[in-house]
This record gives sequence, C-alpha cells and structure tokens, in this order.
Amino acid sequence: MAYNSNSVNISVEAPIENQIQEITYDGQEIYQAPLTLSESLAKYAQKIDFSRALSEINVKKESGDNSDDSKSDGDSKDAFQSNLWPWDSIRNKLRNAYQEVCVLSDVLTIAKEKRYMVLDPVQQEPIETKPMVQIYARKKALTGAASVLLTGAERLKTSQNELLRNRSTPDFHIELLRLRQNWRLKKVSNSIIGDLSYRTAGSKYAQSGMFEVTKAEEEEKSSSPPSSPMPVPAPAKSNSSLRVTVPSELQGVAYIEVLCQKDQEDLCSANINLLNSAPTTANPDVHWQQKLEAAQNVLFCKELFNQLAKEAVQLQAPIPHMVVGNQIMATVLPGIQLVIGLCHSTSSEKKSSQLTPPPSKSDHDHVLEHSLHQLLREVHHKNTHHPFPHPSSAPLGPSKKRYLAGPMAADRYELLEMTQSETLLEQIIKQAQHFFMRMRTEYVLDTIAKEVKDPLISSHWNTLNSPTQSCVKINISTHGYDAVCRTPLVIHVGEKSLKCICRDGKVMHMSYEPQELRDLIFCHINQHQILAVQALAKTMGWQFLGNSNHLGLGAVEPLGNASSCLLASPIGDRLIAVRCEPQSGVQVSVVHSPRTDFFPSRLVTERKWEHLGGQFREVRLEKMEGRNFLHKMELLMASLTSNS
Amino acid sequence: MAVIGSATDTLNTALKSNIVPDQEYLLQGSVLDQYVEVLLHRLRGLCDNVDSGPESFHDHELCFTLRATSGPGSAMVLPLRVRRALDVPEAPWQLRYVGQHELGDKNRPTVVRSSIDMACSSTIVEFLTELGCRMDFEYISRGYMFRKGRMKITVSKVFKMGGLTNKPGESVEPISQSYLVELSVLAPSGQDAIAEDMRVFAEQLKPLVHLEKIDYKRLAHLQ
Repeated sequence: MAYNSNSVNISVEAPIENQIQEITYDGQEIYQAPLTLSESLAKYAQKIDFSRALSEINVKKESGDNSDDSKSDGDSKDAFQSNLWPWDSIRNKLRNAYQEVCVLSDVLTIAKEKRYMVLDPVQQEPIETKPMVQIYARKKALTGAASVLLTGAERLKTSQNELLRNRSTPDFHIELLRLRQNWRLKKVSNSIIGDLSYRTAGSKYAQSGMFEVTKAEEEEKSSSPPSSPMPVPAPAKSNSSLRVTVPSELQGVAYIEVLCQKDQEDLCSANINLLNSAPTTANPDVHWQQKLEAAQNVLFCKELFNQLAKEAVQLQAPIPHMVVGNQIMATVLPGIQLVIGLCHSTSSEKKSSQLTPPPSKSDHDHVLEHSLHQLLREVHHKNTHHPFPHPSSAPLGPSKKRYLAGPMAADRYELLEMTQSETLLEQIIKQAQHFFMRMRTEYVLDTIAKEVKDPLISSHWNTLNSPTQSCVKINISTHGYDAVCRTPLVIHVGEKSLKCICRDGKVMHMSYEPQELRDLIFCHINQHQILAVQALAKTMGWQFLGNSNHLGLGAVEPLGNASSCLLASPIGDRLIAVRCEPQSGVQVSVVHSPRTDFFPSRLVTERKWEHLGGQFREVRLEKMEGRNFLHKMELLMASLTSNS
Repeated sequence: MAVIGSATDTLNTALKSNIVPDQEYLLQGSVLDQYVEVLLHRLRGLCDNVDSGPESFHDHELCFTLRATSGPGSAMVLPLRVRRALDVPEAPWQLRYVGQHELGDKNRPTVVRSSIDMACSSTIVEFLTELGCRMDFEYISRGYMFRKGRMKITVSKVFKMGGLTNKPGESVEPISQSYLVELSVLAPSGQDAIAEDMRVFAEQLKPLVHLEKIDYKRLAHLQ
C-alpha cells in the first residue's frame, strides 16, 4: 500500500469452490469445510490493523482512509474488548509483524536510495548433487507411487468382483433362508448356530452336532490376479456367500464297513479301506449342503458304531464278540466272522491313502451296511413315534401291549418278555447268518444242478422275502416227462437252519451245514427216478408189481438207502427191475418168462415152468439209445411190449 | 403270601425313590369353536410327529364318588373316574383317581395334582357300583391330541349325555361353544423342571389360547 504508485494492481478473490485440504493417493480430494459465520468473522478480524488502537505506536506514512478504517475498527474492538479478549494474541502478533514490515520498508527505502547502502549479489555455492542418490530417491518415490496405484487397482478389482459375484450368487440372507428351510438354526448372541444331530428325529446320542454359520469372507488376498481384464471366477470356486463350520470331529467322510470273512485269513489285514468316490468335506469349496450332509452322516455312523460296540460288550454270546479300536468282530457261523468297522477319513488321511491305494480285499457288504442304517433309523423312529393312548387320559409312555397287561392279567413271564427287545447287533448278526445260509443254499442247489443232468433240478427263489427268511421252491423233473412226474420241494431258509417240506408233506429240519441239504437233494433225486418210472409204466400199460423206498438188499449205501421197483409187461411175460442207489446210480434188469422159444431139458421138462421166471439180466443203460433215463426206460418198455 | 409281601415292598420302594409318575402337571384353557382350526394348525406346527395328521379321540367318562363314612359327621368323599375310548373298542377301560389341585404360589407355573391310573376291563363299572360308588355325572369328550416330548396336549369338546339313552353317539349335545384345551404331563414328584417347559410351550400358544392355572374353587364361587 505504501508503494502502490510503482506496483501493479493485483486483484485477489476467493475461489468459488471450497479449498482442498488434502489429495489422497487415489486422487480423492478432501475439501475443507466452508467457514462458518463466526470463523469468517475471526478471519476478517485478523486483517484488522490494531496499531491505531494503541496510542504508543507511532504511525508512519499511512494513507488517511486506511487509518480511519482501522480507527473505526479499533473503536469497535474497544467496545468488544471485554468479551473478545482471546484475540489479544492475534493483536500482539499483528503488531509485531507490522513492526517488522515497517523495518523492512525502511531498509528497502535506504537500499533504493543507494546513497547509504548498496546491495551486491552474493555468489552462492552450487548444491552438490550425487547422481546415485538421486536415482535411489527417484526409485523410492516411484515404488511409492506404484504401490499406491496397485492398491488402488486392487480395490477397484475387488469392488468389480463383488459386483460380479453379487450377480451370480445369491445374497447371504437368501442363502441363510435356504439353509433355514432344511436345517435347524438359532441365533446365539452374535453368531448363528445350527444343529445337525438326529436328536429331533429320536436319537439319544450324546455327541452334539453343532455347526456355525458365517458369512463367506472376500476372496483371499493370495489369489493371483487373472491375466484377462475381465476376471472370470474359477468354476471350482464355491459361489456361495455362506460358510458353515462343522466341528473337526465331524469333518471328513465316514461310513460303516461291514465285512464277512472266513476263518482268520485276513483278520489282521482287514484294515480300513477308503472309498475314493466321496468328496472330501474339509475342502472349503464344497457347498454347505453337501458339507452338512456329510457331517450328519459322520455323526450317524458314529452313533451307530457306538451303539453296536456297547451291545457287543454287553451281549453274552457263546463266542464273545470282540471290540478292538474301530472294529467289532462277531462270529456268525462257525468259521465265519462279521466285522463291522467305522471308517472315518479326514482330508489329511485321504491324501496319504491316495498315495498308496488300498488293495481291495474282502468285499464290503453294502446290503448289510444298509440294513444297519435301517435298523438304527428304526430305533430313532420308535423313539419318537410312541402310540397315542386311548382313552386320551391314559399316560403317554407305556406301549399298548403293556397297557393291556393289567386287564389281560399278564404273568411275570409275559411282562419280562415285553421288556426284552433285540439289540441292533443281534439283528444284524441274524441277517448275516441268513445271508450266509442263503448263499450256501444257492451254492448247493447250483452245484447239484450242474452235476446232475438227469433229472433236471430247477429252483425258484421267492422274490418276496424278509432280511432273515427266504424261501426256495425246487422242482425235480425229467426233460420231456414233466407231465408224467415231478417232485416238488420247498426249502425255507432261516437264520441258522433250513426247513424242507417234501413232496409227501414230511418236514425236515436241517442245520447250517450244506452237506445235509446236499444229501437230502440226492435222496430226492433217487426217489424221483423210481416214482417217475412207475408213473411212466402206468402210461405204457405196464403193471406195477411193487416197490421199496428203502431196500434192505445190496451193498450198504453211505447215505440213505437204495430204492427199487418191479414192473411187469401188459401180458406179464416180461419183468423190469429198477434199482436206484444214491451213490452208484440206476441199475435196470430184465427177465423174460416164458421165453419165446422153449427147449425142454432134463430139469425143466414142461413149458409151464417157464412162467416162474428166470434169471435177471442187467441192461447196459449207457449203451442204450435215449436222451435220459426215462426216455431209455420208455424205449425199453416199448421194445419189450412190441415183441409180445 | 411271601410273593405278595415282596411285591408290596417293591412298590413301596419304587414310590419312595420317586420313580412312579403319579403327579400330573396341568394347564387348562379354552378356545372358541370358530378359532379351533387355527389352534390345531399351530399345534401341528409345534408338536412332534404330526406328519400323519392329528390323532383324534372320542372318550366317554363316568365320574363316581365313594363316600366313606369313617366317623360320624366326617364323610370322606373319594372321586373316581372311569373312562373308555369309544373309537377304539379293543382298548382297555381306565380307572383314574385325581387328587386335589395344588395351585401353589405365583412362581409355580402349573397346577400339580396327584394322579393314579390303571387300565381295567369293562366290568369296572359293576365293580364300583358293588363297592358302593355312586355315579355323579358322565360326559363325552371328543377332539384331538398332540404330543411334544413328554407333554400331552388335548383339544376336546365336551358333550352332555342327553336324556335317558345311555348309548353313546346318540342325542349328545355340546356343553358350550368352545373347546377345552389341556396341557398335561405325568411325572414323578419332584420334577418341577417340566413345569417350566410347559410354561414356555403355553407361551407359544398365546394369544390363540391362554393356558392357565385354573382355580376350581373360584369357579365354584362364581356360580
């Protein structure tokens, strides 16, 4: 102001925008908040020259209007002095500054006159610059800038991914709703806890099946940036915004392995062999539904095994059941063991098992495994589905049978019987026993059918059977002569015994030894042959003279007795004797009486004596024509008849 | 004789060790006919195993009293109830003794009464009559029952036995325009935790039905 005659007019005005306080690295500008009314008042007050207000400051070459302004301001300030005292420091500073400016203007005036003082430029020492330092400094600055750019890019990318994911995967809350539809959830303070145990379905297993539901976090920072500008999520990635955490003891895959083994052959090698088909659930990418289902399965298998192990220890079996580690061993039939194992694999074990694939040994019995599952589920069902009492005021607990025990005057024995129930282990052992009995019966019947071609043995298994009982119908017949004679047999296969109902209504009970069934079938084959010959004889017009099912003649048979029959031709001149032995087969002999030609001898002088019959001659059946025994017999009878 | 003695001893020890469920925890309420469907719907949602639909019942109850004159003036009245299921003819009849209500203080959530019941044959009515019991009244109760854990919930309509015809199903008329709702648990004495469960369950049925401790004495007073 003092030298405005030489200076240029510069107009300074406030920008319309707010002032920028800070620019962040990613280019965001942070504006200063506009001044409030009191702030702007303070700001303007700072511009006030207070020198005039104080009398001790001598005024220099001041223009009149300015001093007037400051005078008036000073007056106003005096008026506010009492309550605007905080501005005192500002005033002091301003005064000091003013003093300095006055001194500076004096110095400048003196220098400008050049009468008293000359200002000479001073040669300044050039700043020494080291090129390496500069490079390092630049490098450092550049890396700083680069990191800023990279983090900015990362942030942009995540926001873009978020958008993409939101488009492809449903919202967390929608997922939670879906989860809620199938699983039990509850909110405990700040977390969502679920229960996958079977307790609501009737299980009484103590282990809890708690799992936690969390929101899936954003993708891991370690994921490498995709090369393409549009990041495509990998297909294996789980696109669920929901994550479930199951306790470690329920992770992995579990199943109950049921093996049936003979003798001790692979007792020590019956180790766990893992099914490689099931997906590992420790992998975080598996969908929650599968993960929870797998965990539930683990829990179920554990409960099942626990129950079986408990029963195995408690049961009093003639050959005690063994429980070793994760295996239960029970003897089903002499020499045959049932091994039930709990296989539980977590991901780490899985890896090791994949390195050394386990050799597949004895077959895992899927049917028995399924039966075990079914049995436990039945127990669960029974636990929850108590029958309702009638009348309605009766208590809920006791069964209908028990409730009737009073009015029906049940005795102690009946009451005790009500309390007893078959354990799971007993039931599965029975099923295994039946399985073996069925297999043995099948085997015996098949081998006999293969060995014996004449007569034919056909067996029909009933399709409707229970896990512990099945039935097979056996037909013994000769090819081409089905209508003439057929021997039906029915065998009921039980748990440890067989019951055979024979053609004549006799009931035979047999043990689990397959040889007994084999012997029985062979006996029936012989019987069939004899009966078939008799029936054939009737159709051929031959006379049936007599038969014996248990012939006392001949060599002693190792099993059963030989049976025989005697047939006479229509006019009675020829006889056929058939002897059937289980061991050596069929023998057929014929006798002619009288012979067609008669030559009197000294002993037999008359022809009539020829009617007494003579010596039987054996027929060599194997040389005869005919498809089977009955066919041969038919031909034989026919030939003997036609001659007469 | 020795066998009978030992059986009595066994029963006594069982009673002493609190394993005989002879206490009935009870809450009662009622719902108007037009809202009973809503209540049944909610019960189906809350109770166990209703996948096969609610279980219905149709019972006939006869209430007898036995007046034992133990001394002059002090007549002891022993109430006995006989109940039979009309819809399940092969089910046994039931003889039941229900003791006095214990309302307890405010902190106790349910009514507790002692309850002893047994199954019996249909000759029980003759037996009781021979014994000197007199039939006070009879009614027919028809409705649905549910269960939730140990709790039994019955929603039933009570019918008056009409006229002289003693045959069930004939000439019965409903006593009121509402259904009786009962929530009960039979438990050994001392198991008060179940009462709390019942309170929580009753809470879930509000406001459809308010299950409360009903004080019969006050009801008698109102009449």
